[in-house]
Amino acid sequence: MTVAQTTAGVSRRPARLQQWWQGISIIFESRVATVGLSIVLFWLIIGLLSLFWTPYPPNSSLFAQNLRPNPTNWLGTDHLGRDIASRLMQGTQVILLKTRLPDGNIVIPGGVAIWGVLGSLLLGSVLGLNAGYRGGWWDQAIMQVLDALIAFPVIVLYLVVIAALGQGDLVVVLAITITGAPGVARLVRSLTLDIKTRDYIRAAETRGENVWYILFREILPNARGPLLVDAMLRVGYAIFAIGTLGFLGIGLPPPDPDWGNMVNDARAGGRLFSNPIAMIWPAAAIASLVIGLNLFADGLREEITRYQK
Amino acid sequence: MLVKDRMTRHPILISPTTLATEAQNIMAENNIRHLPVAGDGKRLLGLITRQQLAMKPDDLGSLNVWEISRYLGRLTAAKIMLRAEQVITISPDRTIERAARILTDNKIGCLPVVEDDQVVIGILTETDMLQAFQEMLGLPSEGVRVTMRMPNRKGEFNKLTTVIAQKGWGIMGIGSFPSPRRPDSYDMVLKIPHVGVEEVQAALAQVPDQEIIDIRTVA
Amino acid sequence: MTVERKAPPVLKLDDVAVAYKVRGGEIEAVQNVSFDIHRGESHGIVGESGCGKSTVSWAILNFLGANGYVKRGRILFQGQDLVSKKGEELRKLRGDQIAMVYQDPMQALNPSMRLGDQLKEALTVHRGLGAKEAERRCIDMLERVYMPDAANVMRRYPHQISGGQQQRVVIAMALLNNPALLIMDEPTTALDVTVEAAVLDLIADLRRDFDTAIMYITHNLGVVARVCTKIGVMYAGEMVERGTIAAVYERPQHPYTQGLLRCVPKLGADKASSLLYPIRGRVPPPNSRPAGCVFGPRCDYRRERCIQERPALRTLANGVQVRCHFAEEIDPAAWQPSEEIELPTVKKREEERAPILEVKNLTKYYPVSGSSLKDVLGLGEKRQVRAVENVSFAVPKGATLGIVGESGCGKSTLIKTIIGLENSTAGKAEFLGFDITGDITTRDAKLIQELQMVFQNPDSTMNPSYTIGQQIARPMLRFGVASKAQVRQEVVKLLQAMRLGENYYDRLPRQLSGGEKQRVGIARALASRPDLVLCDEPVSALDVSVQAAILNLLLQVQSDLDTTLIFIAHDLSVVRFFSDSVAVMYLGQIMEIGPADAIYAPPYHPYTEALLSAVPIPDPKAQQKQIRLEGSVPSALNPPSGCRFHTRCPRRPFAPEGGQVCETTAPPWQEVATGHRILCHIPPETLRSFDPVIAP
Repeated sequence: MTVAQTTAGVSRRPARLQQWWQGISIIFESRVATVGLSIVLFWLIIGLLSLFWTPYPPNSSLFAQNLRPNPTNWLGTDHLGRDIASRLMQGTQVILLKTRLPDGNIVIPGGVAIWGVLGSLLLGSVLGLNAGYRGGWWDQAIMQVLDALIAFPVIVLYLVVIAALGQGDLVVVLAITITGAPGVARLVRSLTLDIKTRDYIRAAETRGENVWYILFREILPNARGPLLVDAMLRVGYAIFAIGTLGFLGIGLPPPDPDWGNMVNDARAGGRLFSNPIAMIWPAAAIASLVIGLNLFADGLREEITRYQK
Repeated sequence: MLVKDRMTRHPILISPTTLATEAQNIMAENNIRHLPVAGDGKRLLGLITRQQLAMKPDDLGSLNVWEISRYLGRLTAAKIMLRAEQVITISPDRTIERAARILTDNKIGCLPVVEDDQVVIGILTETDMLQAFQEMLGLPSEGVRVTMRMPNRKGEFNKLTTVIAQKGWGIMGIGSFPSPRRPDSYDMVLKIPHVGVEEVQAALAQVPDQEIIDIRTVA
Repeated sequence: MTVERKAPPVLKLDDVAVAYKVRGGEIEAVQNVSFDIHRGESHGIVGESGCGKSTVSWAILNFLGANGYVKRGRILFQGQDLVSKKGEELRKLRGDQIAMVYQDPMQALNPSMRLGDQLKEALTVHRGLGAKEAERRCIDMLERVYMPDAANVMRRYPHQISGGQQQRVVIAMALLNNPALLIMDEPTTALDVTVEAAVLDLIADLRRDFDTAIMYITHNLGVVARVCTKIGVMYAGEMVERGTIAAVYERPQHPYTQGLLRCVPKLGADKASSLLYPIRGRVPPPNSRPAGCVFGPRCDYRRERCIQERPALRTLANGVQVRCHFAEEIDPAAWQPSEEIELPTVKKREEERAPILEVKNLTKYYPVSGSSLKDVLGLGEKRQVRAVENVSFAVPKGATLGIVGESGCGKSTLIKTIIGLENSTAGKAEFLGFDITGDITTRDAKLIQELQMVFQNPDSTMNPSYTIGQQIARPMLRFGVASKAQVRQEVVKLLQAMRLGENYYDRLPRQLSGGEKQRVGIARALASRPDLVLCDEPVSALDVSVQAAILNLLLQVQSDLDTTLIFIAHDLSVVRFFSDSVAVMYLGQIMEIGPADAIYAPPYHPYTEALLSAVPIPDPKAQQKQIRLEGSVPSALNPPSGCRFHTRCPRRPFAPEGGQVCETTAPPWQEVATGHRILCHIPPETLRSFDPVIAP
């Protein structure tokens, strides 16, 4: 019999599933996060659906030009007579669901925005962990370079990357990675500075663990909460960036429809006035997805910090 | 012995928006008769005593039951208090006899003690003065209380204390009063602990020119 | 001698209950708490963490946050109910008549304002005093709280003065407005024992002079005995015992109070002659308090009635109020430890054993870079923090060396250097015959395995992302103590040795209490089967009853595994109890070292003497010498010449040449008995002539 067991009760080994559910149920504690998640899920489902079915082929001009919304074309048609609803559905894919590799028709799962953010997370974490944990010259060198990078306006960085490497999904991924990494690195660095003062890091050091073990096994897992929230926000920014690039005409290459591109097409050549509706839909799609992710991230952050208290 | 040594520190204060009825409750519950009204920074704004709480019949006579309760519901301390200009206050560094003088001269029951431009730091009431008086004469400890009458001239007190000192006694309470109707002599009240009446009587009877007026053991 | 008058209490709590709204209901954190505090009285509130002490103080000030509220009862301040007050009126009361002092002085000080401006603000804004007059008053008040060089302090910023001085400024600030009630929540817990003693003296003085009512919240029974006139013991949200200090310490009536007093080692007690008795179980969380007596499940005297009926707070013959059905029948002297408590069996060691760790003149300097242009260019004078200097000692196998000293004395640096988190600057250090002057990267895995560490803070000692099992298994696998196949079995074995069940294997650290986390931390340190374990304040963050259990556990482990321990703590009674020999450190040097019992009796080093006289003793009748050190520990950047302690030494006049020598010459080591060395100029005969700090 022990002191502790008297109140500890019977053995329970929490099932993985149950733990998962506990983690997820946090989301529903917050109304904001629930609303955000619903919006994101809505677009995910639309995207998944578009893989198998769209009302009409998205890239063929089957209808009259510039139709208003009507029972056949729910959201109207664009200046080439393509069904906007179908194009909008298809447009989710490149953002969230697939990335097209440059040569041939190979497609990998996960949208450009997702890969871009994952890339910046990876790069940013490695840099941030090293800068934060090792300190001294490592810190100085890494943070100076990143600060220099941050000094450029994001859009200029995009233009530089794309001008250097040409158009393509992977280029956009790379652009998002490079512009996102400094922010992630700063976040990870500040988290690391805090976490590295904890006694369990001292314990790992006194076991003589090597630096990479400490960085990735001891520190990084404890930074995951804020990182997750940050990643959500970044996916939103990335979608925004893709939209911007599409609008400038240097975003994701055709043939797949791209929301930013759609906005630009609907605007160009004075079409804004003849058929303003065609521009509103993709703009609203971008906005809603970004807002959804933001709400989700905000709600999540609130709940996570509340739990930590 | 100065005011600051005898006053009650941290007196209960109310704000000017406190209702008169609540003020009355506070006074009743805490068994006090004077309630300073203070604003920001404990600055004295006024004083409430039982007098201020007594309703003038004229005021109420014309009101019916409903009006009375509404009237009372709006009656704040600010409306009934004696305003600060009218309140006599004292500074903590004055003597208690001066404070007593102010009390008797003005026929009032308390003096808010203020410093720094009307900041209330204490209150000195009749009760505090009477308390001081008791302690001066050695209450509540037990001992022999003796009243000696002595002529009003130098060296008399010394004669008395010399005798007490020779006996190895202590004095735990002392007070001197002009003898009633005898302008040329003083009555000195002493309290001596841990001795018997007889011993004291025997010893003090030998003090020349002085007489024992009263002697008794008191607690 | 004044006549006791029936003045109304300054603060009166009448059957107060505080509840927090949480997900799915509400929790009553505090129930049925009643007490009152009169003018000039200081009322201690003690209890373990989670007992609702602080909640009570927040309720008084209405700081309960958005989801807390006073559910029942009245809180009367100067006869006025605070519960119904809000907004402006409450703010005014708090500003003018109630003041607070918290554990962390920086909470109350604005880091970007000069201290003088912050202090003066209270007077110029609230009282409308002129700047000159306010300045004078503030300096007076700072001198009143024994602040050295008060006028100068007025011009400084908060970070430029030490923690103890910051706390004095906060107290001075609280008193400037002459509050009727002063609430102090663990005001000295973060301070060193010598500073704590000075602050406690100050509080006792101020209570007398200002006639302020003080509510003093602490977990330390010794502190209460020193500054308070009354004590209230809280347990699980209820006041279980309340009375005058003398009555409660003389004859504690509630089993919980008795238990608490049995948990703390008496100053001078050691492990060979006495035992610590932890209270079994732990404080129930507010949502699962037992019906009947809340202390019932942990009480050794529980009967049927205790389960059925919640006891009321009732007044006994000696004026003490107790919440127990059977208070009169319980005789603490006849108490026997319950069989559920694990008590260590300490073996007596007879023979003198060979040292496992030998340190000779070990020195650690940290270079500091200044911020002037000269320094940046590398032209400036090279300056060094002399964190540890010329430290020598040896620890025999299976023994415990305790290290005590104020914060900043270098005890943590010493440990870090030994374990290899830092390399040493000079000197020799040999562990098992191997050189350990380099840092951990220069050491062999075998050597690393033999040297492990237990940390102070239970909340950060375990990585929150991994289960307990994984974290204990890691060192086993890393050092090859167990193969992958048997590791789980080994971990469970170790957990059981720590009195934790197998079910802890899959738990995450956040599911554990502080004491359990500390047990796991010890298990992790023991997982590689080390010969030497360094314990850096392993119990100072724990409640007393848990502390007793952990100390017992460490004793048991040591006697089972023959582990050698180095034990750092700031609590001198704990060190005395736990250690075989003790080293007293000051400013990077060992001032006195020797067998534990010799350190705690004359001859003392003057610094040891001051430390001992500062220890708060949980016995109001103890006759303790009052030696208080002046000033604060000098900077290790530029330590005083000669004897490092000479700037604060209260015994300096006893040294040769009237203390001149202390300033100029480094003191010699004087061997006053076998193995007992004192670093001091004062001749041993003189040191021996001083009275013991605590009168027997």
